[in-house]
Amino acid sequence: MLFLAPVMAVLGAVAVFPIAYSLYISFFSMKLTRPNRTPFVGLKNYTDLLGDEAFWGAVWRTVSFSLVSVTAIALIALLVSLLLNQEFRGRRILSTILLVPWAIPYVANALMWKWIYDSSYGALNGLLYQLDFIDKYMVWLGDQDKTLFLIANAFVWKEVPLATILLLVSLKSIPSDLYAAARVDGATVWQRFVHVTLPAMKPGFMLVMIYETMMAIRHFDLFFILTEGGPGSASHVLSWHIYVETFRNLSFGSGAAMSYLLAIATFALSYLFIRTLGRKI
Amino acid sequence: MLKDKTRRLGRRDFLRYSAAGAGALMAPGLVRPAKAETAALTMHTWSAAVDTVQSHLSAFTKETGIPVNYGNSPWAQYREGMVAKFVGGAPLDAMWVSDSWLPEWAEAGWIAPVDEFDSLMKYNAEAEDFCTDSMTYGGRQYGLTYYTDYMAFLYDEAKLKEAGFDAPPSSWDELVEQSLVMKEKGIADYPMMLAMAQESWLIEFISTLVYSHGGRLVDDNGMAVMQDPKEGAVEALSWVVDAVNKHKIVSPACVETGELAGLKAFAAGNHAFAMVAKYRLRMLNDPEQSQIAGHVKQAMMPQGANGSHATVGWMRFHGMSAQAAQDKARAENAAKLIEWFGGKADGAYTFQKLLFLDIGAGFGVKPLFEDPEIRAAYDSYGDVDMIQAQQALARKKDTVTPWFGEWNDTNGSAWQSAILGNVDAAGAVQKSADLWNELKDSY
Repeated sequence: MLFLAPVMAVLGAVAVFPIAYSLYISFFSMKLTRPNRTPFVGLKNYTDLLGDEAFWGAVWRTVSFSLVSVTAIALIALLVSLLLNQEFRGRRILSTILLVPWAIPYVANALMWKWIYDSSYGALNGLLYQLDFIDKYMVWLGDQDKTLFLIANAFVWKEVPLATILLLVSLKSIPSDLYAAARVDGATVWQRFVHVTLPAMKPGFMLVMIYETMMAIRHFDLFFILTEGGPGSASHVLSWHIYVETFRNLSFGSGAAMSYLLAIATFALSYLFIRTLGRKI
Repeated sequence: MLKDKTRRLGRRDFLRYSAAGAGALMAPGLVRPAKAETAALTMHTWSAAVDTVQSHLSAFTKETGIPVNYGNSPWAQYREGMVAKFVGGAPLDAMWVSDSWLPEWAEAGWIAPVDEFDSLMKYNAEAEDFCTDSMTYGGRQYGLTYYTDYMAFLYDEAKLKEAGFDAPPSSWDELVEQSLVMKEKGIADYPMMLAMAQESWLIEFISTLVYSHGGRLVDDNGMAVMQDPKEGAVEALSWVVDAVNKHKIVSPACVETGELAGLKAFAAGNHAFAMVAKYRLRMLNDPEQSQIAGHVKQAMMPQGANGSHATVGWMRFHGMSAQAAQDKARAENAAKLIEWFGGKADGAYTFQKLLFLDIGAGFGVKPLFEDPEIRAAYDSYGDVDMIQAQQALARKKDTVTPWFGEWNDTNGSAWQSAILGNVDAAGAVQKSADLWNELKDSY
């Protein structure tokens, strides 16, 4: 214990204390611009959120974004991992190229997509216009019906490589004699995929679903750089809502309460995935 | 075994040195106490014209013998960073303040009024009224201005002539007429550039539209009047909604176009008219930065049916921290520093002039308009009399209150929602007004 004391002290100072303190201030009406008025309000910060239309709007948009993103990531990663599990010429190069989006920092990724989606000089407009798919430049991020989907697209592009690697590891770990036995039993390709490959990939899928759901729910960079929650409130998701409340409105009490609700939701979802995907094959 | 032994010794050494170090730190008398007092002042600004500030600070120290610790941080994080400094009690004597934050900072007791210093108050006689108003909260004045500007209406004279017009529009309706002709002649797809993205500039654009439609957002008692159809806001928003959706003279991309992107689009020759900060005129008439250089002219802000050529003005000033004000000697030194930057240094408005000549920043002290060097600089890219005439009609933002920050995002979203067609103009403004009154009551 004596040897661990310095590490415990550091951990306590940089992790345990801030977490405990943020929980503590979530029970106070703590607004930095009112330094002399921070009354204890109990659960009011939490109960106020339940009746807050803007908060529920942000929750709904977060759920939509996460659902679309995680589904797309899982499907694309599955297809790519199945492809990379085959032997073919150029597989190594393809694997290397696949890692590029993963290597790009989140902020750089967001700035890159801002250039791509720009309505005046964006690469997407340029490409579609030159291919005659559009006859005039489109307003991408200014269209509230498309905004969330376009941000999800940028998020998927960044996240697919990691999900692919995780699923590929699962694929590589499937014993070849399982396939041999299935062939002897007369299983078709589809049956082998459904009854051998997919069940064996469950641990990998569980990791992907937990990690990507957490990332999607908490994602901030793309929303900050691409739209700042706009147009209107089309991309006003929970992470953006928390940022505005905490760092623009400087309401640390309600911002902390929101952060805890987000943490609880993330934990609950992770638990759900573990319960459903973590069962033994 | 040897490896094991080495590791054990290492741990012991680590613990021994840790304990020795901790003991040394805790031993009384071994830690040198911080100086209780220092003659140096601390000034913090955002990261703009840093070299100019530093050279002017050096001159101040040389002149007065008062050393100044200078720090700066980016504009984007400045407000939050300063709030953290105030709350944490970081050493601070003077700082740059935006008019938008004055009520918030004054209410929190972080900045101190400076109206007890006659050496500073004497400059009000030469400052623009809206600047002095913008530095005043609760009947007290909190600083001296060093920079001010306003929202200007600019046009591309070449495009105007090409469309067959001799003069720029003087009203918003006339702007629609001229724009429709330009669209018809293929001069510009969207003749008017409006940047309505959610960013700090949005409130300036909104306020300008409302003021020029003869309205206001908030009355003198701080109550929302924006929802009143006779108060200009609904009319102004309706004009924008029609400009985008009915006349199609403003791009639907305006809701994702920030001030800088809009400026670049205007500079690239994509538009005939633009509402931008006046100081952008210099860049727009610079051949190295603009494709329409030499053609950009300023006109008075178009007016609504019941409006005027009014525009919104904003300003930044040097303020004094409350902690500096608590110490008489420190406060006097801080006042000297504020005067050096916001008032006269060596008998002239040196800092304002330096800023103008360096980056084209506007000033809020009227005598500088008569300065031959400044007039010559303005003449190279603008009409100094027009600039001065429009500045005389600039008004401070009426929404600047302690709850401005909380209301601003929702207001911006409401205007955007109306432009996108989710809600009618009256409904959007009503939503904004409701939040305003709710916040006002909560404060």
